[in-house]
Amino acid sequence: MTNLAKAKSYKSDIKPIWCPGCGDFAVLSALTKAFAFLDLAKQDLAVISGIGCSSRLPAYFSSYGFHGIHGRALPIASGLKLARPELTVIASGGDGDGFSIGGNHFIHACRRNLDMTYIVMDNEVYGMTKGQASPTTQPDWASSKLTPHGTGVRPFQPAAIALASGASFIARAFSGDPNGMTKLIIAAIQHPGFSFIQVLSPCPTFRPEQKLWKHQVEAFPHEPTDDPVKAATRLYTDDGMSSGLIFQSNYPTWNKPEVAQTSVKQFEEEFVV
Amino acid sequence: MIKPESIEDLETFLALAYLLEIESSDRYTELADNMQVHNDPEVEQLFRKLSEYSGKHASEIIEHAEGMVLPNVASWDFEWQSPEGPETTAFEFVEYQITPVKVLQLALHNEIRGHDFYAHIAEQSPSEEIRKLATEFTDEESEHVELLKNWIAEMEQNKGNTRDDMDPPNMPE
Ligand SMILES: Cc1ncc(C[n+]2csc(CCOP(=O)(O)OP(=O)(O)O)c2C)c(N)n1
Ligand code: SF4
Repeated sequence: MTNLAKAKSYKSDIKPIWCPGCGDFAVLSALTKAFAFLDLAKQDLAVISGIGCSSRLPAYFSSYGFHGIHGRALPIASGLKLARPELTVIASGGDGDGFSIGGNHFIHACRRNLDMTYIVMDNEVYGMTKGQASPTTQPDWASSKLTPHGTGVRPFQPAAIALASGASFIARAFSGDPNGMTKLIIAAIQHPGFSFIQVLSPCPTFRPEQKLWKHQVEAFPHEPTDDPVKAATRLYTDDGMSSGLIFQSNYPTWNKPEVAQTSVKQFEEEFVV
Repeated sequence: MIKPESIEDLETFLALAYLLEIESSDRYTELADNMQVHNDPEVEQLFRKLSEYSGKHASEIIEHAEGMVLPNVASWDFEWQSPEGPETTAFEFVEYQITPVKVLQLALHNEIRGHDFYAHIAEQSPSEEIRKLATEFTDEESEHVELLKNWIAEMEQNKGNTRDDMDPPNMPE
């Protein structure tokens, strides 16, 4: 019998409040299928997020989870992974959460290469706060009253920055290709190290033009490489609209150093003035 | 990637047919839940009904498979003409102003794809047993296609196919 019949058992009773047609539905569905395929025990699984429409994700799982604060999915997920290395930890959120307010955490999480997976649902907009430009928005997008002439700023390049910062698994998925996304999520969870997936996940409400992505996204035209120089060259010549595994290497992961344990009481005493 | 028409054993074929139906049923439930949250009980109920139908087909396939051990197959191991299985509604096809007629048109689209999928296997499969069963499934899908066409015609007579919103949710701030 197919394991995938169990996919819906990874869902909680809370019904997503996303707009009909939102790309984030496909991410939720792909994650439950990946968990079912890998037959992960719910008690060994935690989904962590920041704030935004996409960051509502943990509420929709029946596993453990934490809907954190804006931009802090990665510090929370990193802390959890260090404290409980046996857990499968998934950090998630939007492009605003991960690359704006959480941008610095993104760089250092890539650098640390802890064994966890980070999924960013990139819709090139702040959906939850009603449609402002995000770091990945094109400079000439002028549909927000805050940036009536566009931002005029070069977009953030998530995959290239992940590569430069030391992430050991970098992929781009598309919510219009749920099967392809599920395969990438499975590979990311199985990868020993920090695996980053940028999911092109349309916001049909504030970026209705993204409905056209399904005609624009194509397969990444190269086999995955473990050579960062090759990957960098490919990313610089890529239009950001291709999906697939881009880079995978076996960089050493960072684990909790074996240091003497300090009790909370001892720790508090250090701070007594 | 396996071409569905090249499957040689009945167990894999039934596992795949079962997977198609539960995926379709689960997706209709997801869409029903979403429309419930957006307070559209009419569309919600339609999606629930469609989910129930797909669920029933999944149970029928399990009956066919009595006494067999079905392999653990995954949708992404197969080569499809569509991004997911032929009977699974893409999330992107649904929007908050979707009408009941449009819902049934989506279901019809799925059933036609399901029909063509089984018809292709009924023609191409190397196994006689699979060809026979696929022919049976093709006939069933033809019945569903006809039922949906009638249902749509009935509904179109009674209701329009557009909805207006004087206060749309996407006024940028
Ligand atoms: C500290 C802080 N600053 C600002 C906000 C307001 N805020 C909520 S969500 C959000 C951005 C959401 O955009 P994104 O992460 O891309 O997610 P989406 O809603 O598009 O999925 C902002 C700025 C906040 N909640 N907390
Ligand atoms: S506003 Fe956009 S990102 Fe938020 S739920 Fe709606 S479609 Fe999705």
